[in-house]
Amino acid sequence: MLEFQAGSRPAFEEVFARYREPLYGFFRRRLTNRERAEDLTQETFIAVIRATVRYQPKALFRTYLYSIALNLLAAERRKLARTAPATNEVIENAADEVLWVRGALRKLEPSDREILMLREYEQMSYAEIAELLRIPINTVRSRLFRSRLALKCHLEPEREGVKCP
Amino acid sequence: MNHPIEQEELMTYLDGELAANRAAATASHLERCQECQKLAAELRDLSDQLSNWQVEQSSPALTNNIAAEMDKYSGQPRGKFAFLARRQTWAWAGGLSVAAFVVAILIQPRSTSQYGKIDFARARNPLPFQIRDSKANTFFDEVRARNPMIARTTQLTIAVKDFAKMRPLVDEILKRHGGYLGQSNISSPVDSGPVLEATLRVPSDQLDAAMAELKALGRVESESQAGEEITQQYVDLEARLSNARNSEKRLTDLLRERTGKLADVLAVEKEIERVRGEIERMEAERKNFANRVDFATLNIKLFEESRAGLQMPGSLSPRLRNAAVEGYKTTVESIVGAASFLLAYGPSVLFWTAVLFFPARLVWRRLRRHLLNSL
Repeated sequence: MLEFQAGSRPAFEEVFARYREPLYGFFRRRLTNRERAEDLTQETFIAVIRATVRYQPKALFRTYLYSIALNLLAAERRKLARTAPATNEVIENAADEVLWVRGALRKLEPSDREILMLREYEQMSYAEIAELLRIPINTVRSRLFRSRLALKCHLEPEREGVKCP
Repeated sequence: MNHPIEQEELMTYLDGELAANRAAATASHLERCQECQKLAAELRDLSDQLSNWQVEQSSPALTNNIAAEMDKYSGQPRGKFAFLARRQTWAWAGGLSVAAFVVAILIQPRSTSQYGKIDFARARNPLPFQIRDSKANTFFDEVRARNPMIARTTQLTIAVKDFAKMRPLVDEILKRHGGYLGQSNISSPVDSGPVLEATLRVPSDQLDAAMAELKALGRVESESQAGEEITQQYVDLEARLSNARNSEKRLTDLLRERTGKLADVLAVEKEIERVRGEIERMEAERKNFANRVDFATLNIKLFEESRAGLQMPGSLSPRLRNAAVEGYKTTVESIVGAASFLLAYGPSVLFWTAVLFFPARLVWRRLRRHLLNSL
């Protein structure tokens, strides 16, 4: 990123190539609309480009990138809550087990779910998650454990209908 | 079975986030504990199940849009002027401006309230004020109704070309305007030409004209004026004078109308004598006040310009020593001044910084979030 800041275009092309699909996956797993996920991926990179002159390497670039993505996601969710507060998720063609996982994830507390997804899908360390969400690292650990136990409960077919922790 | 590790620690170990010293103990326990092995297997299975949710590839159009944006970025400032585009630069500039503004506000009212404003226009042209022997009460009211009594003092430093001709010219100016010479002193320092320092007394209404003529004698190096209002002091003096006269009259009546022992008569006469002495002293003081108002004080300093600096001093060492002493004094004074300033304004600045810090930080964070969202 610092090389791009100094004017190297190939440096940013490398950044883009490395984070393009993970970032798209980040939005895609959190939004139902594929086009919006692509739009927000694009907007994240554009925000990075426009803020290049102000960029200071205070944290990992990945943390910086995902903090922008999280802000955009929060704005998108606020917008969706205003425009279509009660729309149901569109059922897409997906394997049963994927739908089962998505359904179980949706039952988690939003903050716990976010921590679990950042760990499982974005492969972030506890420290990165703590910095990104601005919470203590011990909180990350305890919530992650709690969300994993809850998800395990939700994923057990025989426990359907039984209240999970 | 007794578990030396908690379940959360086991999860942390599986995630590769446990500290090395605890990781060894956890691994050792995991090898022996079937319950923990079961939990570890469940957590791994959970991760496997979650990894089944894979998303499709993004659209190729994304690359084109980003490339177009990168082309635009090429025109943005970089290099040594890039700091202008940084938020921190503007935040610091804004913060310093606010601090300077606060300090300016804190300083301004103090300076005006401490010294007040002197109305030089009014002081320059006071109404002619004449002292009258009248009854104290009526005089008291009259003085209050009049314009204030102002004693004017002026400093004038003039560099002249021909010093020898100056003294007669100054005397002529004084004579023309009805003034007189209060004090004068002529000196001839080693390293410069002769210097005349004099205190002139000039009628207040003639001061401006006299000053104009004095200024024409040479080049004015410095000029300053001051006006001291003495109305209150004068009124107080008049009141005390009136009381003393009444006392004198009562004592005189007492002496004339009553008879008594010789010792009592002598005591009254002694008291009359004391009161009269006091009255005379106050009358002299009143004349002095009147004189200060009617005649402005003009301190002038005339020195010969052409000779200044032509004669070399006898020895260089005293001058260097004096300069060193002066430098030391200036340093000490500047340190004391800086410390005084910090003590006088530091607490206020700290207070306002503490009050404004959190609201400013809140506003800044909200603004930053808003800007980020609007990108």
